[in-house]
Amino acid sequence: MQKKMLLALVVVVIVVVSAVAAIQLMPKPASPEARNIKIGLVAPVSGSPIGQDMERAARMAVDEINNAGGIYVSAWNTKVNITIVVADTVNDAPGNAVTPVTRAVETDGVDLLIGGYGSAGTLANEIVAIENRVPYIIAGASNELVTRRGPQGNYGGLGAQGTYSISDEEGMSYVFHYCTTTLDYSKTVVQFFANEMKPLVAEDRDFRLALLYRNDAFGTGVAQATKFWIENLSLPITIVADRSYETTTTNYQTDLTAVKSTNPDAVFVVDNPDKTPLIIKQGWNEVGLKSVYIAVENNQDPAFYTLLGETGSGQLLESKLDPFMSPSYLPAVEEYSEKFLELYDVYPGMMGADTYDAFYVAKDAIERAGTLDKAEVRTAIENTDLPQMLIMTESGRIRFSTGINYHEISPVTFIEQLYWDNTSNALKSRIVWSPFSPGGMELKQADFALPTGYQAGSP
Amino acid sequence: MDITAPTIILTLVWGVAIGCVYILLATGLNLIFGVMKLVNFAHGQLLMLSAFLTWTISVASGMNAYLAIIVSMIVVALLGVGVERLTFRRVLGTDKLNEIFVSLGLIYIFENAAMLIWGPQPKQIVSPFSGMSLALPGVSITYDRIIAVVVVVAALAAFGVLIKKTKIGLAMRATSQRNTTAMLMGINVEKIYMITFAIGAALAAVAGGLYGIIFSFDYQVGAMPTIIAFAIIIMGGLGSIKGAIVGGLLYGIAEQLATLFLGGIWGSAVAFALLIVVLVIRPNGIFGEKGE
Amino acid sequence: MTLKQQLTKLVRSKSFLFMIAVFAVLALLPIFISDNFFLTVLTLITIFSIYAASWNFLANSGQGSLGHALFLGVGGFASAIIGSSIATATANLLGSTQLPVGALSVTIQILSLLLGGLLSAGIGLLIGLACVRLKAWYLAMVTFGFSVIAATLSSQFDAITQGINGFPTTTLVTRGFPFYILVLSFAIVSIAAMYIITKSRMGMAFKAIHGNEPEAKMIGINTAKYKLIAFVISTFFAGIAGGLYAYFIRLIDNSVFSPLNSFTPLIMTVIGGLGTVVGPIIGTVFLVSIQQLLALPSVVDSLRASLGPLFPEVSNVGAPLGFLIIGIILLVIVIFLPKGLVSLPQKSKTMMPRIQKLVKRISSKFKRKKPK
Repeated sequence: MQKKMLLALVVVVIVVVSAVAAIQLMPKPASPEARNIKIGLVAPVSGSPIGQDMERAARMAVDEINNAGGIYVSAWNTKVNITIVVADTVNDAPGNAVTPVTRAVETDGVDLLIGGYGSAGTLANEIVAIENRVPYIIAGASNELVTRRGPQGNYGGLGAQGTYSISDEEGMSYVFHYCTTTLDYSKTVVQFFANEMKPLVAEDRDFRLALLYRNDAFGTGVAQATKFWIENLSLPITIVADRSYETTTTNYQTDLTAVKSTNPDAVFVVDNPDKTPLIIKQGWNEVGLKSVYIAVENNQDPAFYTLLGETGSGQLLESKLDPFMSPSYLPAVEEYSEKFLELYDVYPGMMGADTYDAFYVAKDAIERAGTLDKAEVRTAIENTDLPQMLIMTESGRIRFSTGINYHEISPVTFIEQLYWDNTSNALKSRIVWSPFSPGGMELKQADFALPTGYQAGSP
Repeated sequence: MDITAPTIILTLVWGVAIGCVYILLATGLNLIFGVMKLVNFAHGQLLMLSAFLTWTISVASGMNAYLAIIVSMIVVALLGVGVERLTFRRVLGTDKLNEIFVSLGLIYIFENAAMLIWGPQPKQIVSPFSGMSLALPGVSITYDRIIAVVVVVAALAAFGVLIKKTKIGLAMRATSQRNTTAMLMGINVEKIYMITFAIGAALAAVAGGLYGIIFSFDYQVGAMPTIIAFAIIIMGGLGSIKGAIVGGLLYGIAEQLATLFLGGIWGSAVAFALLIVVLVIRPNGIFGEKGE
Repeated sequence: MTLKQQLTKLVRSKSFLFMIAVFAVLALLPIFISDNFFLTVLTLITIFSIYAASWNFLANSGQGSLGHALFLGVGGFASAIIGSSIATATANLLGSTQLPVGALSVTIQILSLLLGGLLSAGIGLLIGLACVRLKAWYLAMVTFGFSVIAATLSSQFDAITQGINGFPTTTLVTRGFPFYILVLSFAIVSIAAMYIITKSRMGMAFKAIHGNEPEAKMIGINTAKYKLIAFVISTFFAGIAGGLYAYFIRLIDNSVFSPLNSFTPLIMTVIGGLGTVVGPIIGTVFLVSIQQLLALPSVVDSLRASLGPLFPEVSNVGAPLGFLIIGIILLVIVIFLPKGLVSLPQKSKTMMPRIQKLVKRISSKFKRKKPK
């Protein structure tokens, strides 16, 4: 009797175990909750060429991800596609930048936001993301304040530069900065002048640098950061001219004449790709300020090269990505550039590349989170550890920092010198200096040489 | 920074050079006002359209940029005729505010149509002389700027001849003084209005082509030059050609001196402050007659 | 007429009742629709209604301003700065760093908005003094010039205004429905106040000046005084709108002085109906709706699919198309419907017989052709 009972028990156990195993082994059906992932693209899509570049890059990344099967969400046990929800900020003024983000967050219910170009507009609309606890990967605005600002819910009374506080850790923790900050690139620029150019022109005296910048958040931010680094690193550089101008003007001769009268060794021009070439051309061709001009990375745009033309030969550009090189310093960038050209019939700019990378960062984070729960996605982004993509980083990996450089990546920046290429009849660039060697890689492609006709400054 | 005498002299030169560019635009505006007593605030958008047209023509056909300006001038003049017929003629003689409203409507239409067609990318017209400049002691002037000054002077001279020496000019002057009398004398006032608007638009088109060669431009480029041209003719007195030239030079020099001494951000603020002072003292401008 | 008589007349007038109805609907709307974005758009519309009404008020006295953004900006910066500093000071008095949202913070909010309006009116008085002798284009240009100067000044005093990076406002009234109610109350009071003034003796004087200034002067109206009063009142309410706008967008920077912000109230007023009470409101609803509609993701996507290939240079056709449509509507209204959308029902009545006649003629032509 007992034996029979035992046998029956064994049979029951076997049946139960195998049934459980069978159920376990059977493919699980996808959850009925599964839906597309909605990512809000925050960019001045219709008002600015850079917004257009960001949008094109975003569509390219999303098509790639979707064509490869989408993103696996383990909570739903299925792969889903990404849908882009465009939040067009038109001209990126705060008045235009807030409403579209509000709509994307509150009505369209986006799972994540990517983009944010102008600093003022982004500082305004990121509050919407913070209030609603939506992760926001900022891939454009270079003002470091975007991830280092005051307490959540009350942003009044920000401290002076250098005394940022991140009081409400939860609120601010939803914002990530996937691009260079003004502090990043100003540092590279002043280091280049002190280490590389000073020995050539001003061995026995301070290097004379003139600042000429547009009067807005971007221009003044770069100017402040430049002065900050000269003092902080105690570099032998003197600022001989510090001039800003209205963003609407197109006549820079008088400002340039005033700059010329200070005899600078180099001129740091901070403006966008539509105006920077004008300034350099008016300076070199009309005012006769035969100096070294340096522009910053937002000028890494096809318009900058075509507008500047032959006058640009010998001038400098700080950058973190160059999509116009072949062969490139980084095969991924060349691939990206070729594919972009094939798709849209134009070359990509630099800003779109950040956006492109950011979509892959989001994909990776959602897959690791296994859910679209915003808090978990946020944590997953915070723990990102991917190999670098288009934007090179110091460690060769994409990681978001903590501490004072809150939620920033550490991109590699470099200095390029422009040259006129007679075979293609176009302005090109090559890397002449970088303080970094990502993964031991030598970025330098040529030696820096003073432009023909250059006149050094004098005290 | 110590400001030396040569710097100040150079600044004055830049002021004059910059004033020249705006004088052309201002003259067209002023002509339209003089004859029709109408202000077209969308005048700068004709400049913008002409810059794009010149660019398209020179890129598509490989035509010399300066020749392309002539083609663009004809197209924009025709456009001007259309604009006058369809819009301004219908509000002429009604409340003055209506002109402001029509102009604003036109600004929105032109800018956004240009944006839809040509996109937001900045462009520059490549002239055969780009990058070349004439070296003088202490300064060099690009050939394109020299050509611009020559073209401006030539256009103004031709315009002067047209007004002073031709039958049409006579009719225009008659209309500008008293349109009812002109009508009684057998002048077809509507036709004169049409021609006036066409000439004004053509002058804006020339200014646009030159602007596109000297500077870069995008769909929003029309706003600033219009405002400056307005400030200039308002300072000089609406309808006064002499006033436009004096106003243009005054504006250019004031802006550049302010830029030199106070910095670039003060340029247009000081120029507008000057405008305000002039108008508060003389509500009809420097050369303006006491109106109405 | 005594004040009492005036008020009774006012309360009985049709447009006043209509206004009340509009506001009642506006206040109740969010209760039925729980969508936050809808509330955001509604708040925006209400703020801009005050702004457009203030522009309309000035235009009623014959003064067309092209620089009203100056007052929007001054009111915005002033109330943002005042609100934030009073809130911080009060919080410090209470021994904390942050002021909790409550009765106290709401009071501070209202106070800061009124002070912002007053400062704006003070600057309006100074600018009005410069402008009283100016007419039409001269006035338009000078007001425009002042807004250019304001943008420069604001960036010069960046230590106070933080206009370059943007001044972040302090939350004093909870965002969403409570803030909407605050905005709506301000709108009701402001627009009603402007309406009452327009219907008063002073309003008659404004109208006379608008009609014919020399004539108004001849019948003994102190035109300079009344024009100045109109300027001060208008700029006060523009300043109030600016304060609400700053709190609404959470951050105010120098771009508030942009010409577009000066043109907007004008376009809203003209489209709706210049010189009427409901005109600016209807115009605002119309303008904001077009823009928001064309920005909806579904619309953006379908425009991409349909018009995208036509305009390969543009990534989002919606925004420029919206502005283009607004421009065309503005032209059509100025030319064919000078009294704005408000006059549409009336106009259609007079137009109806003509259209019917036209239809008859066309149809009769077709009929004649048919037998063959």
